[in-house]
Amino acid sequence: MGVFGLVIAGVGGQGTLLASRLIAQSSIDVGLPVKIGETYGMAQRGGPVMGHIQIGEGAESPQIRPGEADALIGFEIGEAVRRGVTYLKEGGLALVNTRKFPPLEVISGMMEYPSEDSLLSLLGEVTSDIVKFDATAIAEEAGDAIATNMVMLGAIVESRKLPFDEEVVTAALRRSVRAAYLETNLKAFMMGKTAYGDFSK
Amino acid sequence: MSVHPVVIDEPGKKVLLMGNEAIARGAIEAGATVATAYPGTPSSEIGNTLSRVSDAAGLYFEWSINEKVAFEVAFGASMCGQRSLVAMKHVGLNVALDVLNPVSLRGVNGGLVFVSTDDPSQHSSRTEQDNRWLAKQNCIPVLEPSSPQEAKDFTRYAFELSERVKLPVMIRTVTRLSHMRSDVDLGPIYRLERKPEFDWEGFSYRVAGFEKLFRRHGERHEKLDRVKEEFEGADFNHLKLDGSEKVGIIGVGFAFTYVLDAIRKLGVESEVAYLKLATPHPLPTEKIARMLEGVETLLVVEEVDPFVEMHVKSLAKEIAASATILGRETGHLPREGELSPSILDSALGGLLGISVDRIDRSDMEEKVGELLFDRMLTLCPGCPHRASIHALKKAVRKVKGDLMSIVVNGDIGCYGLAHAPPMSFEDTYFCMGASIGVSQGMARVGVDTIAWIGDGTFFHAGMPSLLNAVYNGSPLKIVVADNGTVAMTGFQPTPQSGKTATGKPAKKVMIEDIARTLGVDLVEVVDPYDLEGAQGAFERMLEAEGVAMVIARRACSMEAVRAMRPEKPVPYFVDDELCTGCRICLSQFGCPALAWREESGKAWVDSAICTGCSVCAQVCPFDAILLEGS
Repeated sequence: MGVFGLVIAGVGGQGTLLASRLIAQSSIDVGLPVKIGETYGMAQRGGPVMGHIQIGEGAESPQIRPGEADALIGFEIGEAVRRGVTYLKEGGLALVNTRKFPPLEVISGMMEYPSEDSLLSLLGEVTSDIVKFDATAIAEEAGDAIATNMVMLGAIVESRKLPFDEEVVTAALRRSVRAAYLETNLKAFMMGKTAYGDFSK
Repeated sequence: MSVHPVVIDEPGKKVLLMGNEAIARGAIEAGATVATAYPGTPSSEIGNTLSRVSDAAGLYFEWSINEKVAFEVAFGASMCGQRSLVAMKHVGLNVALDVLNPVSLRGVNGGLVFVSTDDPSQHSSRTEQDNRWLAKQNCIPVLEPSSPQEAKDFTRYAFELSERVKLPVMIRTVTRLSHMRSDVDLGPIYRLERKPEFDWEGFSYRVAGFEKLFRRHGERHEKLDRVKEEFEGADFNHLKLDGSEKVGIIGVGFAFTYVLDAIRKLGVESEVAYLKLATPHPLPTEKIARMLEGVETLLVVEEVDPFVEMHVKSLAKEIAASATILGRETGHLPREGELSPSILDSALGGLLGISVDRIDRSDMEEKVGELLFDRMLTLCPGCPHRASIHALKKAVRKVKGDLMSIVVNGDIGCYGLAHAPPMSFEDTYFCMGASIGVSQGMARVGVDTIAWIGDGTFFHAGMPSLLNAVYNGSPLKIVVADNGTVAMTGFQPTPQSGKTATGKPAKKVMIEDIARTLGVDLVEVVDPYDLEGAQGAFERMLEAEGVAMVIARRACSMEAVRAMRPEKPVPYFVDDELCTGCRICLSQFGCPALAWREESGKAWVDSAICTGCSVCAQVCPFDAILLEGS
């Protein structure tokens, strides 16, 4: 195989890094080289964050070129569209959490949060393979909104785009997550898988 | 939770490591017994990692009070035969520079390796400085890794090199490398079982004599010559030159990754010669000379300044005067800012006359830019700094009448975001501690100021400056935004915490005690969550004669929420009956846990992120924000 490129977009505090790390650890566990490039600014919480994951032989730098990512996991709809429009290849899979995480511009009334339709129509110019759902609502149902990352992880695993099986990922998850949070995380992961099945039609 | 991968003693095992973690692992593999650091993005994870594993790794780690002290502590251990690591961000080396030159001049005993994490494009820094110049100025060998694997391997090697040639060695990374993660093959862990003993012959004036130890510039040059010999033959400076290529590239450190990606993308493996250069200083000049003799055009690819480019040009003058040498200085690569795969694709394509397929979505990106916010940086939900700024503005309005009647000199830390709307109450920040210094100069010439500094920054660089104000009788108003932690770089402890970097008990040193001891005329400690109380203290500070300080003390809200787990804070809510829709909580306070509900025309609290601090309830003029369950 060549390099599989995945862009993860979200907001600081959403647990994008844990999702990236579990994907990377799974790659190592099946013997594939992997790189994660992380972009985060100065803010601890609420700032835009982006991860580039490249799995397989043939990539040196941790950056995916614009328009060359095979798939996108968008943890927040605005960030998903921002990064998807730049990085996702034509026809690539875009998983989008429709839950909005309003920035200060919206909170303080300087701007309005754009509508879901206006955002997704921009992403639609890059790909028609958009699978969208309120992953945060699903995580809340699983027990904690913080497990949104596991819902998204379950969904990307269910898409079968990644070069390893579900069991590899859940094994990595069991090794990385504290016992107290494991049950909720696994439940959210499974519900994410189901969500992909439900919303990818 | 499993054991941290940097202390796993299984040579050959592949683990996922961040560049910074790989450096920590390299120091552990080299048997370092002392490690020191001052936090600063993008370097902090080196210290964070070592603080977690120091017991398991059998090394002493400390967060030093600043980079100069960190360097001195490490040097002290080196003089006693121990291997020591110092880590800092690029601007930290400015602080440590005073000690760097005497250390390199005198030499080291046990291996001494320091890490400078440079920050091309200033992702999280006030400057875009290239610290290879500082290494050159101080005769320091530099290793620039291109991957986490090399970050680990080079760190281990740097200790051996340092000890062999008796010079400190610098590892230079860039943000992308420090923060990237990839699979790394672990090496064996070497345990340095060396009895600590001061090297009397090497460092003691009493034993070795002053003259022998004092003027050593010549000896330092000879050491560097030996390093150059070693770098010349080293495998990590890999030259790929068949003799048939027209174009050559020198890819320095991490920037080499872009070079290789561009060569592959363009499919020009046979047309391009390259030198993968890991040692920008001293340069392996023979390898570079072979490249210069072998190709007509040479592109130098490096992060930040044309450091290697300029040195290669001076070398070419003697051996290949007709060679065309291109890079950042000639404009074939951007003069400033971070490189990227796409920049290299274009630069290499241009040199070879190949058009590069580039996906251009600038039209769509423009549409996204019009539709979507930038997501401005802001303080976290419940951040005590936001409350302090709110109270400070009210105090200034009351005492001075006008917010523009006073210059607010900020400093380096989360609270530096005071300039951002809707708080918008900060005019400058420059470097660690500068708030207190520049405020004195302004006050001297009759301009009213407030110095706005955090607790961590006060300990790092604020104390000498405060003493200066007291001693020289400069009127000074200081607010210490004290959230009990170095929050911005990942919640490292301060001397007020009562615990060390590795969680061991430490003597608590309080800022108010320091201030009173230094002779500050008025010192008050207030809780910024008590808006009225804080405002009163700020008013008294503004009206005071001499040097006055208010310490606005309240734990970082992120830390407070974390400490509470698995419990969650009790959030506030907006009573729709009482809310008039005036938006004051949003437009003047702007906590991210508050939002506007268009459908109801009322404010709304996001209970998922509300930390229950109560400050918005105090800000609301209609008492419409209430504690849940109340």
